[in-house]
Amino acid sequence: MNENTVFVKNYRENEILPAAESEIWRYAGFLGNQNEINAELSQTFENVKNEIKDLFSYKVCYRRTELLWEQGEPVLPFCVHSKALAKLLEGCGEIIVFSATVGLSIDRYIAKQQRISPVKALLANAYGAERIENLCDTFCGDIKNQLQNENKYITRRFSPGYSDFPLESQTEMFALLDCNRKIGVSLNESLLMSPSKSVTAIMGIKYEKYSSSVKQKCGDCKKTDCIFRKQEK
Amino acid sequence: MTVLDYMKNNFVFLDGGMGTLLQKQGLLPGELPERWNITHADKITDIHRQYFDAGSNIVNTNTFGANCLKFSEEELEEIIESAVKNAKKARETSNGTQEKFIALDIGPLGRLLKPYGDFDFDEAVECYAKTVKIGAECGVDLIFIETMNDSLDTKAAVLAAKENADLPIFVSNAYGEDGCLMTGASPAAMVAMLEGLGVQAIGANCSLGPAELRSVVSEYLKYSSLPVLLKPNAGLPKSVDGQTVYGVLPEEFSDLMENYARDGIRILGGCCGTNPEYISKTVQRVKKITPKPVTDKNVTMVSSYTHAVEFDQVPVLIGERINPTGKKLFKEALRNNDIGYILNEGLKQQEKGVHILDVNVGLPEIDEEEMLQKVCFELQSIIDLPLQIDTTNINAMEKALRHYNGKAMINSVNGKEENMREIFPLVKKYGGLVVCLTLDEDGIPDTAEKRVEIAKKIIDTAKEYGIPKKDLIFDTLAMTVSADNKSAVATLKSLNTIKNELKCHTSLGVSNVSFGLPHRDILNGAFFTLALENGLSAAIMNPNSNEMMKSYYSFKALKGLDENCSDFIENIEKYAVSEASVTSNSSVSSNLPDAQSELQRAVVKGLKDKAAEITSLLLENTEPLSIVNTQIIPALDIVGKGFENKTMYLPQLLMSAEAASAAFEKIKSKLKEKPAETVSKGKFVIATVKGDIHDIGKNIVKLIMENYGFEVYDLGKDVAPEKIVEEALRTNTKLVGLSALMTTTVPSMEETIKQLREKAPDVKVIVGGAVLTKEYADSIGADFYAKDAMETVRYSLQQK
Repeated sequence: MNENTVFVKNYRENEILPAAESEIWRYAGFLGNQNEINAELSQTFENVKNEIKDLFSYKVCYRRTELLWEQGEPVLPFCVHSKALAKLLEGCGEIIVFSATVGLSIDRYIAKQQRISPVKALLANAYGAERIENLCDTFCGDIKNQLQNENKYITRRFSPGYSDFPLESQTEMFALLDCNRKIGVSLNESLLMSPSKSVTAIMGIKYEKYSSSVKQKCGDCKKTDCIFRKQEK
Repeated sequence: MTVLDYMKNNFVFLDGGMGTLLQKQGLLPGELPERWNITHADKITDIHRQYFDAGSNIVNTNTFGANCLKFSEEELEEIIESAVKNAKKARETSNGTQEKFIALDIGPLGRLLKPYGDFDFDEAVECYAKTVKIGAECGVDLIFIETMNDSLDTKAAVLAAKENADLPIFVSNAYGEDGCLMTGASPAAMVAMLEGLGVQAIGANCSLGPAELRSVVSEYLKYSSLPVLLKPNAGLPKSVDGQTVYGVLPEEFSDLMENYARDGIRILGGCCGTNPEYISKTVQRVKKITPKPVTDKNVTMVSSYTHAVEFDQVPVLIGERINPTGKKLFKEALRNNDIGYILNEGLKQQEKGVHILDVNVGLPEIDEEEMLQKVCFELQSIIDLPLQIDTTNINAMEKALRHYNGKAMINSVNGKEENMREIFPLVKKYGGLVVCLTLDEDGIPDTAEKRVEIAKKIIDTAKEYGIPKKDLIFDTLAMTVSADNKSAVATLKSLNTIKNELKCHTSLGVSNVSFGLPHRDILNGAFFTLALENGLSAAIMNPNSNEMMKSYYSFKALKGLDENCSDFIENIEKYAVSEASVTSNSSVSSNLPDAQSELQRAVVKGLKDKAAEITSLLLENTEPLSIVNTQIIPALDIVGKGFENKTMYLPQLLMSAEAASAAFEKIKSKLKEKPAETVSKGKFVIATVKGDIHDIGKNIVKLIMENYGFEVYDLGKDVAPEKIVEEALRTNTKLVGLSALMTTTVPSMEETIKQLREKAPDVKVIVGGAVLTKEYADSIGADFYAKDAMETVRYSLQQK
């Protein structure tokens, strides 16, 4: 078992699913009908897309390790007590811990546009959010396919800060993944990540047939008044 | 023999990976390998010995992460002492007969520096200093700073090494697939900065295999006058049947390394995934080659945190607009601490195509030391152009140079003995390209010959400090021809001699030539062309001047410096029209009722240019305040209500806000003519609290509040409670807005409110941010929880 190795995956733009524009508008706080977007705003969005298209550098680092269970609790490679996480990992024999980022350039672009055009900053920020989610979906999709060859299945991903999975776990996840060295992500004192468009997460590997979507759902988030909350179908 | 003596005529071999070998020995995931220096001293010593046996000349101590952020000072000392002891023991017991040296290994602290992280540059220097001091006391032969993925962090480590030890410094950066550091610096930018800082060897390690580093290596070899080092990974790790396999095997690795050695790499080793076999094979292959001599590339460069600007044949444009001299609004901005205004001056010049920004914020009544550093920092947060630091205040100069991310231009030194003694030590310490004014104790000489004499004196004195000619750029001082009609001739002649005989680069503050004359632009443009023809390398100039830009593009096209004249064709249109004919020929009639409703429509629809244009027209015969009250505010209300009723959303609200801002710009400049009138609805201090670096939400609130006529004092992000209190008191503000995005930063919001209650009890505090709720806001003692910008506006308007 190569439990000790942190693997790095670099993705090219064409390996990531194309940007989902409806998601970008949603992240930008636009919840209306997209037909209502006037020419001026559409043009601004087109300009933003052109200006940032080369700014992303997609990187993921991850570790795959065995998962042992003690008295009904998963023994993770870091200290955490989270009922929601334990529930997600039920029946899993392995886990994948990963961190992903789209790089710092988009943060710089956003900072600059805040001085020039706040609406461009807002749209670029939303675009960046869509990109990092999409990178995670792409990576999880790859792992899902890879595991199919081993007749194994992944759960959806779960990040510090979700439900009762404490944000404090970030520190240990960072040590475990050597994020700064591997993909250039660092953690500040408030447990915030830089670059800002970065994610850390954990997912379980099941040995019995199991079906999950790589897309994230809002179902178990407690912030029910969130304007970004998706209606569960 | 010292390592520096040894490397003069020999290849130097480094060691290979440490982490990979430790994992094989049982290092657990997440465990700190530095502790193994104490707990598994034998294993560490054994790995070092294997590398010495394989032929390494330099072995790095196992101290990559040995810093005071990870360990207590006591433990840090024990770790570094043991680490050096282990390496020394390996050196004594190895059977290798080569010269052997021990390097104190220093890796990044793992915290990103401000502005995109929260770690302070000075703190970073202090952290590195602790490791350096302990290591130096233990008796290492050199300091090896490696795997650095950020230029400013690299500079912090180098300064700590320079200031706390007298040892050779090798610096190795980690490049990504795009050939840049994680935070954007190109190899040329790193060469410029590190040569300036005076280290002894530079290069690349980690992250990629030898083949993928080809372009990085080529750039180093092209620009570096220092020996270049290379310590690549054995490719990327892959999982094959549950085993970790590195993509490049020892044979292929040594093959590639041999090629690099032939190209000119002088210091060779391996990083992640390599082991003694990789090193031993590389040593065997490379040892047979005669090392290529390290030559002075004689390249003059300055750099920012992303790229280097080279002074060669293509003239370099240095924007002069960040300077209060003769600018009323700029002075006012400095006095009001209005950094936004200054940043805009920078952004506008970048847009116009300058390559470097001159930064001068000298004003008698402000603290220039603090202001200069702050302005440089803020500029470097959003503009990637190198800066030219322009001050006569030596302390301000040092502070700015120390914190500058890259290799700066320094404006200026002159031929006065005392001045050179003050400036050159700073150049030596921090690096930089210095503008040298050809004047001395006797003033500015009238003749070209005397100016050249001064230049020679400056070159000689710089040499005493170890500053090479390539880091000097001579300004032969343009003087107004209206006072002395021979002065331009003297300037050009000395320029020519310095460029062609002394072989130095030159710059000029071009526009001084026309002082006191009408239509200065025309004379400036002509003088600029003449100066370029006489060998001017760079101009400190106003990029808003059409004549100057015309000269620049024309010169490049005429001198074969613009392939296919493509720059000329692309840019000249903008400058082809004279200022006089640019007046608007808008289709908007100034027929008032229509134009009025048109302004409202423009704001509601978010048509920025149109809103500005109509406002200008209306201002010709309407009172500014009446436009605000009857047009802009009603338009904003339509948008605000739409937003509240969810018929309009945030992007549309911001489009309108930007359009309204454009209209306000016009109105404000009109109001400047009658200072008694004001649109102010009151003052508002806003900040993102300490520890939090999210500011998009805060900036949206700021913009909308400004739209509604509030005077907003924006303190930025990551702001300490004391600062917020201080600003509220200074401005006598009754409304403070605080933003926090993370549960972990809400406590600093609470602390800020507490301090505001104590020191400014009549202030109302509005809070907002993703994690907040009304209940949460109540529990930390806020007056009001605003879920969005419009709620902030509504509440604030009620407070009157």
